[in-house]
Amino acid sequence: MGNLFNPHYPLTSGRKRMLGIGAVLLLLAVWALVSMTGMVSPNKLPSPVAVVKAFAYLAWDGDTGQSLLSQAALASIGRIAAAGLIVIAIGIPIGIVMGSSQPINAALSPLIDPFRSAPVVALLPILVMWLGIGEVMKIVFLVIGAIVYLIPLVRDAVQAVPQTHWISARDLGATHSECIRHAVLPLAAPRIFDAVTVCVSVMWTYITVAEYVNAGQGLGQLIQNARRFSAMDQVFAGIFVIILLALLTYQGMQWARHRLFGWETEQ
Amino acid sequence: MTAELVQPIVAVQDITQSYGESLVIDKTSISLQGPQIVMLMGPSGCGKSTLLRMLGGVRPIGVTTPTTGQVLIDGQACTEARDDTIMIFQRYANRPDLTVWDNVALPFRFKAWAHKTSDDVWRKQVGDMIERVGLKGKEAMRPAQLSGGQNQRVAIARALVLRPRILLMDEPFGALDSHTRTEVQDLLHELHKEDPCLVVFVTHDVEEALRLGDRILLMSTHPAKIVMDAQINTSRGDRDAWLASAEARSIQDQIRSQMKTARVAADA
Repeated sequence: MGNLFNPHYPLTSGRKRMLGIGAVLLLLAVWALVSMTGMVSPNKLPSPVAVVKAFAYLAWDGDTGQSLLSQAALASIGRIAAAGLIVIAIGIPIGIVMGSSQPINAALSPLIDPFRSAPVVALLPILVMWLGIGEVMKIVFLVIGAIVYLIPLVRDAVQAVPQTHWISARDLGATHSECIRHAVLPLAAPRIFDAVTVCVSVMWTYITVAEYVNAGQGLGQLIQNARRFSAMDQVFAGIFVIILLALLTYQGMQWARHRLFGWETEQ
Repeated sequence: MTAELVQPIVAVQDITQSYGESLVIDKTSISLQGPQIVMLMGPSGCGKSTLLRMLGGVRPIGVTTPTTGQVLIDGQACTEARDDTIMIFQRYANRPDLTVWDNVALPFRFKAWAHKTSDDVWRKQVGDMIERVGLKGKEAMRPAQLSGGQNQRVAIARALVLRPRILLMDEPFGALDSHTRTEVQDLLHELHKEDPCLVVFVTHDVEEALRLGDRILLMSTHPAKIVMDAQINTSRGDRDAWLASAEARSIQDQIRSQMKTARVAADA
């Protein structure tokens, strides 16, 4: 108990895993208990068993011989991948330019920073009016939702590189662009990678909203359809799949980060 | 064997530097010549680093207040960073993602040096320099795997591989423990003996100044001016014994007394 609130107390990885699994099992137990006792109607809170059954049904429908879940997941992953590439292609260069140039940062910050706290979901009706209800609108919505975070985070990552590196490169004969390329960007790269990770997580939270509007396929559409037919077990199953995919994406990116920027933790 | 460098003549003529309303350096003139190590001392914040940067033709970053006076190198006004002048900091600014070899070779990725030297030549120079600073066998290690002293050796190697005529060192050994500090002082002495150049070295450490310097310049503060200019004629190899001499103690006392006076004036 003495070390419960000691942030520097070392925990073994086995113990960490045990505590994490324990917390999940505890939550499942509470959930099962609440649904078993009938405290909450199954129409509002299905039991864990019902959700597993719904998951199995969505994963493979024997009548149609189709996997609704994998089709929906692939559609959502495709949208996030497309939007992610656009966000990276546009957001990272803008963030780098803003971080490298005080005048450009001063000019663009008032246009970009306020959107970080703006309700991006409120833009959906406007996007529908401007771009219709097709695929373009969904991708643009995801791009806007993520890029307003990415640009300031990339700018901050560039600005956080100690000035000594820039000065040192300049003293060694580097031009301004070489200073940015050889002294600033390599050191900002891990933070920029973190920013991309955050944005991918943000896109997973927005995917359901993007797919609520006229989606032929997708996890958001799957959840929306299930909700329409009051199939709460399928709604829960869809939500868990999104959480699982977001978690897998995050873990994959953390693995890639460790491989790419292992020098950060070298001793 | 490398060709001998033409030794620079640096003349600081009536330099004045202000930060806004505040006058930091007041009408300072110095003449530096030949392959010597000049120690620049003074109380914290007196403008040593500012003056050091100006010796390399660089005005302090963000300062727009016009300065008066000029710095001449070989008789030519020096108004921007020069290829033959390299600076080393206390925070060695080694790239943490690069190995020792890549850090020392970094300048050759820049157009300014890549065009001047063929790949074979600079690769050999980098290898030789790593050996000279005592890091042979550690080429593949990264800065986080090295000690502070070894990191400073990397920074020194990266600067000297370019064979500068003027080497500006801003408290380069300030963060090192005394044993490591003595080691890198000896290394600098050896490297300077093999490849002489003009070194201007900012330090707070009186003993370091007496061990390394051919000349010691002491600055006052608010505003900074040169208040002491001492020449040391004893060879650097004999300095350890000389440090106990009456002459060394006298210079040491003068420096300490001037520093104390400057600090009192600054606090007043």
